[in-house]
Amino acid sequence: MKIYVVYNYGQYNHLIHRTLRDLGVESKLVENTTPVEDLKDADGIVLGGGPSLDRTGNCELYVRELDVPILGVCLGHQLLAKIFGGEVGKGSVGGYAEVIVRIVEEDEIFKDLPKELKVWASHADEVKKLPETFKLLAESEVCKVEAMRHKEKAIYGVQWHPEVYHTEKGTDLYLNFIEICRK
Amino acid sequence: MDVEKFVEQAIQEIREKVKEGKAIIALSGGVDSSVCTVLAYKAIGDRLIPVFVDTGLMREGEPERIKEIFGHMNLVFVDAKDEFFEALRGVTDPEEKRKVVGELFVRIFERVAEEHKAEYLIQGTIYPDIIESMGGIKSHHNVGGFPIHYAFKDVIEPLRELYKDEVREVARYLGLPEEISERMPFPGPGLAVRICGEVTPEKVEVIRKANAIVEEDLEEYEKWQAFAALIGQATGVKGDIRVYGYIIAIRAVESRDGMTADPIKIEYEKLRKIALRITGEIPEVSRVVYDITPKPPATIEFE
Repeated sequence: MKIYVVYNYGQYNHLIHRTLRDLGVESKLVENTTPVEDLKDADGIVLGGGPSLDRTGNCELYVRELDVPILGVCLGHQLLAKIFGGEVGKGSVGGYAEVIVRIVEEDEIFKDLPKELKVWASHADEVKKLPETFKLLAESEVCKVEAMRHKEKAIYGVQWHPEVYHTEKGTDLYLNFIEICRK
Repeated sequence: MDVEKFVEQAIQEIREKVKEGKAIIALSGGVDSSVCTVLAYKAIGDRLIPVFVDTGLMREGEPERIKEIFGHMNLVFVDAKDEFFEALRGVTDPEEKRKVVGELFVRIFERVAEEHKAEYLIQGTIYPDIIESMGGIKSHHNVGGFPIHYAFKDVIEPLRELYKDEVREVARYLGLPEEISERMPFPGPGLAVRICGEVTPEKVEVIRKANAIVEEDLEEYEKWQAFAALIGQATGVKGDIRVYGYIIAIRAVESRDGMTADPIKIEYEKLRKIALRITGEIPEVSRVVYDITPKPPATIEFE
């Protein structure tokens, strides 16, 4: 079981690695310039957050060429929306620190999680329009598309940071992702 | 994490890199550099030269306590207060401040290293320091503040993969006193980054006293960090006399790893007592505020 965490220059990327490591999974934080061939042995990919969509390197290539479960976090989530034909833009308000998200559709990524979660976020941009191949999983007062997934593939995006200590049930979300990767 | 294995590997790494040479270590008294010092002392014994630089930007009583705890090693104590104040004169930009402090720090180390013919520098850099510097948020004096051309053969950072809570685990395992293993984080550039604007000896004296009061009054609280910062000037009136004094902000947060943080809930009466103590005991202060911003969007320290 091997999950790569793609470093998109965000502060919390290493915490994703730490969470997976603490859950007993072999995890590696890799530069987003790593050739896609080097990630072929992955059982799952997490696209980390970061400051800009222009600095996401080979992420799009990973999404298109690797047929494994993918979890996009924050900027990674927005990048997934962009790749699959959705829209990303500045939110009317920023989401910083605590945000209450509501899960609007049951999914294995939220297995055993409550319908309402107190999570921590840090973003000015957001997904404005869901790609046609995706469905909405969670929303909040400050951001319409808090979580989404591909209708057929195990490709997920969450706008908040499940890897930070202050996010409620964040570790459980990664546990669920690990389970998805195991299948 | 497997603490025992980590300690073994860290000692091994230091031995392999330093070989028969001598290494100098930047000891600040915080948990990171203290753990590094103990690891390095175990690795190379007397070939380690721990150096404590009194920048004049330390907390109350700190230089004296360092002498007590690490005095049995070959501790080199450098009084560089005047040099630091001179270098910081007129500097107001926060990033510039960190760079000035970091660079002078390295120059002083080089000086001591040359005197003792040490070729290696050991640093207590931990993972969040590196992440913050890489993302362009802040340059920590441990990393971003270093000028590129220094005389050392190599810089060794045994804690570079760890988080603060893991460093504390290592500290406990190594048997460091609780006052070190549980010590609150303190930034490399010291009180300089707890003063918004120019750093002067007067402001440092004010913030040192305010900081000691906050630390003392919040000692019983569960927290990651509690400190004071000097954030500007405002009008006050003390004994019928107008005072254009300093504004002190109290910052007290809880966190696991310093990556996200939330202000702790302090009862109003307690905050009020601290405000009265600070304004009463420090004549130059006219106003006290409590910072209720989480990280993000704020950082824990002010600069």
